[in-house]
Amino acid sequence: MNTIKVDPITLQVISGALDTIAEEMGHVLYRMSFSSIIRESQDLGAGLFDLNYQTICESESTPMHIGSIPAYLRGIEQTLQGGEWHEGDVVVHNHPYYGSSHSPDLAVIIPIFHEGELIAFAGNTAHHIDIGAATPGLIIDVADVYAEGMLLAGIKLYEKGKRNEGLAQMITHNSRASTQLIRDIEAQVASAQLGVKRFKELLTRYGKDTAFAAIEQLIDYSETMLRQRIAAIPDGDYRAEGFLDDDGRNRETRLPVVVTVTVAGDSVTVDLTGSADQTPTAYNVPFEGSCKVAAYAAFRMLLLDSYTLETPVPSNEGSFRPIKVVAPKGSIFNPIFPAAAEARFTQCNRMIDLIIRALAPVLPERVIAGSSASISFASYSGLKEDGDYWVFLEVNEGAYGGRPRSDGPDCIDNLMANTRNNPIEDLGMHLPMICDRYELRDDVMPGAGKHRGGIGVVKAQRVLTPGFITHESERHYDVPWGIFGGTDGAVGRTEIYNAANPDERTLMPSKFSGYATQAGDVMAYYSPCGGGYGDPLERTPEQVREDVLDDFCSLEHARDIYGVVLSEAVVIDADATQRRRSEMRQRQAISA
Amino acid sequence: MARIGVDVGGTNTDLILETTERDSIGRAIFKHKVPSTLEDQSIAVMRGILELCNQAGIGKEEVDLIVHGTTVATNISIEHNGAEVGMLTTKGFRDILHIGRHKRPHNFSLHFDAPWQTDPLVRRRNRIPINERVLPPHGDVETALDEAEVREAARLLKSRGVEAVIIGFLYSFLNRDHELRAKEIVQQEMPDAYVCCSSEVVDVMREYERFSTTAMNAYIGPRTSFYLTHLSSQLRENGIDAELRIMQSNGGVATVESCCERPVNILMSGPAGGVIGGHYFASLDGERNLITVDIGGTSADISTLVDGSIKIMNPRDSYVSGHPVLAPMIDLITIGAGGGSIAFVDEAGGFQVGPRSAGSNPGPACYGRGGSEPTVTDANIVLGRLDPDQMLGGDLKVDRALSEQAIREKIAEPLGLSLEEAALGILKIVNNNMALAIRSSSVARGVDPRDFVLMPFGGAGPVHGPALAEEVNAKAVLVPPAPGITAAAGLLTTDIQYENTRSLMCDLNTISDQQLERLQLSMDSLESEVREQLRNDDVSEEMMRISRIAECRYYGQGFELRAEFPAGAIDRIAVNQVIETFHRQHEQDYGYCFEGAVVELVTLRLIGNSESQKLEWPPLAAAQPGDTVDAFLYERETIFDDGSARITPRYDRSRLRAGQFIEGPAMLMQHDSTSLVPPGWVAKVTPYGNVIISQH
Repeated sequence: MNTIKVDPITLQVISGALDTIAEEMGHVLYRMSFSSIIRESQDLGAGLFDLNYQTICESESTPMHIGSIPAYLRGIEQTLQGGEWHEGDVVVHNHPYYGSSHSPDLAVIIPIFHEGELIAFAGNTAHHIDIGAATPGLIIDVADVYAEGMLLAGIKLYEKGKRNEGLAQMITHNSRASTQLIRDIEAQVASAQLGVKRFKELLTRYGKDTAFAAIEQLIDYSETMLRQRIAAIPDGDYRAEGFLDDDGRNRETRLPVVVTVTVAGDSVTVDLTGSADQTPTAYNVPFEGSCKVAAYAAFRMLLLDSYTLETPVPSNEGSFRPIKVVAPKGSIFNPIFPAAAEARFTQCNRMIDLIIRALAPVLPERVIAGSSASISFASYSGLKEDGDYWVFLEVNEGAYGGRPRSDGPDCIDNLMANTRNNPIEDLGMHLPMICDRYELRDDVMPGAGKHRGGIGVVKAQRVLTPGFITHESERHYDVPWGIFGGTDGAVGRTEIYNAANPDERTLMPSKFSGYATQAGDVMAYYSPCGGGYGDPLERTPEQVREDVLDDFCSLEHARDIYGVVLSEAVVIDADATQRRRSEMRQRQAISA
Repeated sequence: MARIGVDVGGTNTDLILETTERDSIGRAIFKHKVPSTLEDQSIAVMRGILELCNQAGIGKEEVDLIVHGTTVATNISIEHNGAEVGMLTTKGFRDILHIGRHKRPHNFSLHFDAPWQTDPLVRRRNRIPINERVLPPHGDVETALDEAEVREAARLLKSRGVEAVIIGFLYSFLNRDHELRAKEIVQQEMPDAYVCCSSEVVDVMREYERFSTTAMNAYIGPRTSFYLTHLSSQLRENGIDAELRIMQSNGGVATVESCCERPVNILMSGPAGGVIGGHYFASLDGERNLITVDIGGTSADISTLVDGSIKIMNPRDSYVSGHPVLAPMIDLITIGAGGGSIAFVDEAGGFQVGPRSAGSNPGPACYGRGGSEPTVTDANIVLGRLDPDQMLGGDLKVDRALSEQAIREKIAEPLGLSLEEAALGILKIVNNNMALAIRSSSVARGVDPRDFVLMPFGGAGPVHGPALAEEVNAKAVLVPPAPGITAAAGLLTTDIQYENTRSLMCDLNTISDQQLERLQLSMDSLESEVREQLRNDDVSEEMMRISRIAECRYYGQGFELRAEFPAGAIDRIAVNQVIETFHRQHEQDYGYCFEGAVVELVTLRLIGNSESQKLEWPPLAAAQPGDTVDAFLYERETIFDDGSARITPRYDRSRLRAGQFIEGPAMLMQHDSTSLVPPGWVAKVTPYGNVIISQH
């Protein structure tokens, strides 16, 4: 046990150094990589981990990855090729029943040796576009985990510094996008190697004992910050529930999500008991690598909001420790092997949204109204002239709910998602696809409130050659809620039509697998809009007028919901507005 | 040939005047400093110029050239007081500027701000969709431009009093006809408006970044050009008919006309002068590997120069006020660490310094202007590294007791540290923050700082030099002769420079004869455009230097790196050389290259410049025995990083001459700057008056 107490100054210095290492690792990975899901979307995570698999530091890339690698390491411990780590080893791992977040998120882990002794790990995870699953890119409607593609568990791509060419060849022959896959794995190796190098430099500089003592103290620091805030919440059970559209096959079966947050002193438990049973498709959440990670993320954004904190809290194990997650075995949040579990994002995002909702009565100044809290993850694919596949994965955005002090941001990745979009022009230059529309939805209004909900996106992508689309999305039925008097937002929608015949539109379910497209087919995705926060009558008429001028709000909506009467020329009729608002207040009082 | 460099900073406007034998007063250099007038920078600029001429005793009409580094464009973007901008864009894509890259700036936050939505460069009401469609990959027209819609939109924007209009259509980098025609129509309807097309401002792929750059150009355009033309006429009204040139973000200077058209190119005009100045003073003594650290009151600008060359930032990394701006900028990192950075203890007991700053008002606690929070300057005062009676040569009165009180109450007592420990801690942490930024600008890019000198300047720089050099393992500290006016001096040492880009995408490994021909044609047309700009700036053909750059990536990647074309015809040999250069660059930047992968050209960039007359900084006379005694001022106690308090002599730096050695502990005093020489270090004065401070 390390007993050194590192002085506050050295501690700050080491903290900065660790942050920089993690950021550098992430930077190299996304700048070098080939597939747009890594290079543009930054669907990756990178960091350093100690021998107890605690996170020492982690890059600020995508929240879904942050906090997932410890579970991979625990899974690798059970499956490690040869059972032992050697200097120069590089392990690749993606088995969802051995800790992976889901199978396309491959981890690359390198052990760090110091003076001949194993002392830590450098590693990263990145989403790969195709690992040879049943359908190109994404999968939903499949029978079991084996249909997800290659399952790698504790296997060494490099053994004592020597590349396992057989494994590389095997990987190459089992993917529809093999060049990107193998090069992106190399980019992961380069990133992890950089982490090893930088961490060794840090140890040389400060000595192993001081460095690890500092790491422990930094973890304690983050833990203290979170526990202090949890302790400020009154003890009790807080519950919220919602439901998911379907499992991607059984269209009429809605799937409940029930979240009970128990606050006891400076700890919390998130209990998902009451949520749906595991599904027969891939619409399940790996417990270790995804479900727990989502719960950690929820409390970090609620209680350690990096925008409102004066100084950032180091990204390490400390922010996970106060949180316990319970999900019954055999439920959608903790499936039993060999259930498939690739499509897990929307459940996680909804869980976070419901944790926020559950705590609304006790944290009114911290919570926000319901966000879209889903995702649109689309896989477009087809055959190239030379017979090879092209596969494109796109993450579409949603919108935030209204907030205590500001409107919900529009068209933006929300909660657990934080990727970047792919430039339309880059896409059009390189793939047989063209974007026909990308703007704010104008077919519905977002939730109204003192602070309105964010407006969702409409994105229409046209494929120019025949191929396949798989789409993982949510929330065609369960509308994002308004809060404290705000009105509900709007549900999402997905349509497919042919550009030659745009009036003949097929409404699609939120999740579908391997839909065969013809040349000119267009998928138009409309993401849910956020709910409003606070009474719409408290929004100033001037602000409502601004919204109308910017087409964030229609004249009718302004009158009907906000009680603001505007002329055709968008001038406020002050008297009419006052009358209408007092009428509406009276009606509110009566119904209350 | 009298020339003035004038650099506007947040606190002071610094000026330097250089005259030659042909001027009435003969060869000389004069320096001057006036308080900046932030409401209108030109007031201080004019005042400074007139005072400087007066001080030097030359006639105003003798000034031939004024080179200006200005923060006017940056400030418009920071203060959000630019023009009301309208935008015509492809129908179906009204909100590209509102959506951005759909990534939020914080992973773990519910209350974050998305500046491109809350402070848009173009408000949604003024973004008007137009029927038109150009298709990839060849730029064919699917839908013709609806000219009537354009005209109607222009009339609408005019009726709303919009001052500037941008035209941003998808795929205009493949075919700009629609943008140019729309511009023509808008100009007919709005002859007084500031109008620009995205393909003119930055002809590259990636719609959001291109539109954002164009929108920023229009947002800052009217006020920036007003400022520049106003300053030109002010100069003339005051009897100065000197040419006025503006420092651009890329480190080259350009005419007022060109900066009015592309103000987006001068967003980093201010910090660029510092890097150029640092480069100049170091090269006088033959130092080619440097890390420049320009430390002011609120921030520090850091740049790394390898083998004497100033690096330009990857355009994908350049953001201004939260908006991407694809304009060439010197590669520098700005962090919130300066003399005014505030030290505090956070709620979980963490010891923090910055990025919040006390600025110049209230300023550090010792200024006695009501600031009660301890700053970096206060720590330096408490440790005896800055002498309270010598700030700005004694012009600035400061109170050491206030520094002590602030540090004791806010840091030392809460953390259970002594006053000195707390002050040392403040410096250690702020230096570490700067060191981390230096590392990310050097080590993180494969640069080994052990081969580099660390060059601290700006008034607050030199006192931090040795600690920073030690922290990043730089081989020595190099303090320029006049740290406070390094940036102003830099303005007189740079070249005229223009650059243009053209989007041209093709696989270099499999390039066809036809593509090769297009490549040559595009390059030729870029070259003639740039030569034309240089000619307009009176550069003769034989003085023009041209570099031709291919911005490439491996096919499938998303980020480009630069590779230069060799001189001569663009043939297969030249292309192969570009491929090879690209592999090497990739290896240097990321530690790995994919030898077998196809290299894709994305953008052509052509940079043309002409060497200007450089500042001639005079060498110092050789040191004589007894100089040290003459330069000695007094001695006082100073506390160094090891915690030891030593009686430390202060020397008047203006009395030190070439070849002089000063053993640490010592402090070298100047009007606006103090250089620290810790125990075990030695300072050596170089032939040109730089001071090199290194460990024994």
